[in-house]
Amino acid sequence: MDRRALSFFLLSLTMTPVRPRAQDFKLWGRDVQLHGFASQGYVHSDENNWLTMRTQGAGSGKFTDFGANASMQMTDKFRIGAQVYDRNLGNLGEWHPSLDWAVADYRFKPWFGIRGGKVKTAIGLYNDTQDLDFLHPFALLPQSIYPTDLRDSTIAHTGGDVYGNVPLRKRLGMLSYTGYAGHREDSHYGGYPYLLKGPPALINFSSYGGLQYGCDVRWTTPLKGLLAGVSRMNEDIDGYGTTTAFGPLTPYHEWSKADWTNQYYGQYIHDKLQIDSEYRRYWRDQEIYSGALGVQTNVRGWYIAGAYRVAKRLQLGSYYSRYWLYVPPEFGPGSEQSGHIYEKVITGRVDLNRFMNIKVEGHFMDGYGIPGYYPDGFYNVDNPQGLKRNTNALVVKTSFNF
Amino acid sequence: MKTALKNLNMLLVAAVVTIGWGRALAGDVKIIANSSVQADAISANDLKRIYLRETSSLKDGTHVEPVLEKSGSAHEAFLKEFLDMSDEALQTYYRTLVFTGRGSMPKAFGSDAEVVAYVARTKGAIGYVSTATGAEGVKLVPVLSDRHEARRAVITRVAPEYPETLKRLHIGGTVRLAITISPKGNVEQVVLLGGNPILAEAAITAVKQWVYASGHSRTTTEVSVPFDADR
Repeated sequence: MDRRALSFFLLSLTMTPVRPRAQDFKLWGRDVQLHGFASQGYVHSDENNWLTMRTQGAGSGKFTDFGANASMQMTDKFRIGAQVYDRNLGNLGEWHPSLDWAVADYRFKPWFGIRGGKVKTAIGLYNDTQDLDFLHPFALLPQSIYPTDLRDSTIAHTGGDVYGNVPLRKRLGMLSYTGYAGHREDSHYGGYPYLLKGPPALINFSSYGGLQYGCDVRWTTPLKGLLAGVSRMNEDIDGYGTTTAFGPLTPYHEWSKADWTNQYYGQYIHDKLQIDSEYRRYWRDQEIYSGALGVQTNVRGWYIAGAYRVAKRLQLGSYYSRYWLYVPPEFGPGSEQSGHIYEKVITGRVDLNRFMNIKVEGHFMDGYGIPGYYPDGFYNVDNPQGLKRNTNALVVKTSFNF
Repeated sequence: MKTALKNLNMLLVAAVVTIGWGRALAGDVKIIANSSVQADAISANDLKRIYLRETSSLKDGTHVEPVLEKSGSAHEAFLKEFLDMSDEALQTYYRTLVFTGRGSMPKAFGSDAEVVAYVARTKGAIGYVSTATGAEGVKLVPVLSDRHEARRAVITRVAPEYPETLKRLHIGGTVRLAITISPKGNVEQVVLLGGNPILAEAAITAVKQWVYASGHSRTTTEVSVPFDADR
């Protein structure tokens, strides 16, 4: 664990009795709210280094993030706000803060509102909250659906949303919808640039992003506690940079010919029990090396998760997650286990108070995907000794928010 | 006379409008609002949508701002009866809004007195306090449940006594009441919502004697009691 992370972790623990308070004040006669959060994790694994951290041996504490936001209610229907976010996850993020979201939101009616700016993208149950550790029972959401090293690709778009809640007649519940369109701009410190920076691709991106549009519709069913939904996202992505894969430094361009995500999900909450399940299919057909080579990325994943609050301050949970990455024939045959990650997870979350929690989590993984082909948590550059089939990991994470 | 009473009774049967049924534990918590809130009553469904930030206005267009208590018996009763979620789940819900840019955190106070004081001075504010708490400077807002909930039949209906003087002077009108019915079917609480106030006492006295079919829990509903001087 590096010294800075260790210091932060210990500082977080010593803050247990502290009750941070959201700041709420008036500015020009209008209510302004300030909120923030931070988390610090530690990961130790037995076989492979995971999530770009050196998790083997003594483990790694390079698992930190924090954010802060301000929002102001301008009128009864109009609200503005923004949030900054920074994270360091192993070799990703690297302490480069970003504008997480910045929105102007006007709600004409409960069934119709618009928001514009940089907006969190609604996909599935947790895409827009995947960074917000304190909202979830788990320290790491199922990586088959919410790969933390690829958060940049789905987390937000610069553009606009239309949204609303439509009560259905005849006791059929309520439909909530979000439609969006905008521009996605990836960080230079995400998993995809990290993967391609290494051999054999040797690509340095100067920009990576493009059009992103889609919709999310979720149905609050008449059956108490049951939610079902579907999300669809289309993208048209370009990546520009340079490469030394062929010797001299040459310009690099890749672009998608087809790029879409479908996600189906359900959630059931009854008293202290919560059960979630999601399925995602991601398909990308792209040209790389300025059109010299066409490749397809075909990913499927699903999970089922359950969590139960056994006491006011203690929640236990578990999930089972499956991830597959299919390789087109022209890429060459992989070994039997190389295209999947099957993961079993158990977790315990202790809420020290309303603002702070600690989670202890065990991950038991079979497989490591295809590390040289698409980011899936395991990278060849972090595992020069070669990857082994099974990985067991201990994750300890604490977070607070106000 | 018998015919007149029968007619009056039939009129009452026809005019008693059941808006809906709810599970309000009127004995534990009451809903209060700033005097600027025009509604005399609110449905349980609308109340839930206001607290979940799904809407910020009532059907009459009045802007409303929900106010919470941080903890305590009134808070627990409110969560259980009207939002049907735990405090942890509600906090998670609000934080999801706050940290994704989709909403803001409602004001929260540490005591009934603070809630009453804030609601009294803040236009559009709506909150909850324990029933025993005084509600000076704010209006009480009965919570009616929704039309689709199962109805409870009236078993015994007592006609109101029309004050002779008022009848002779042809003073009539309709009295609107919110009544809370116990699980056994007795009318436990009556709140005057509107109508001709000088007829209210007679209407309340009659409605308090009504007996409904037994149910699983307390329910609150709205009834209208007409007084027609020409009949």
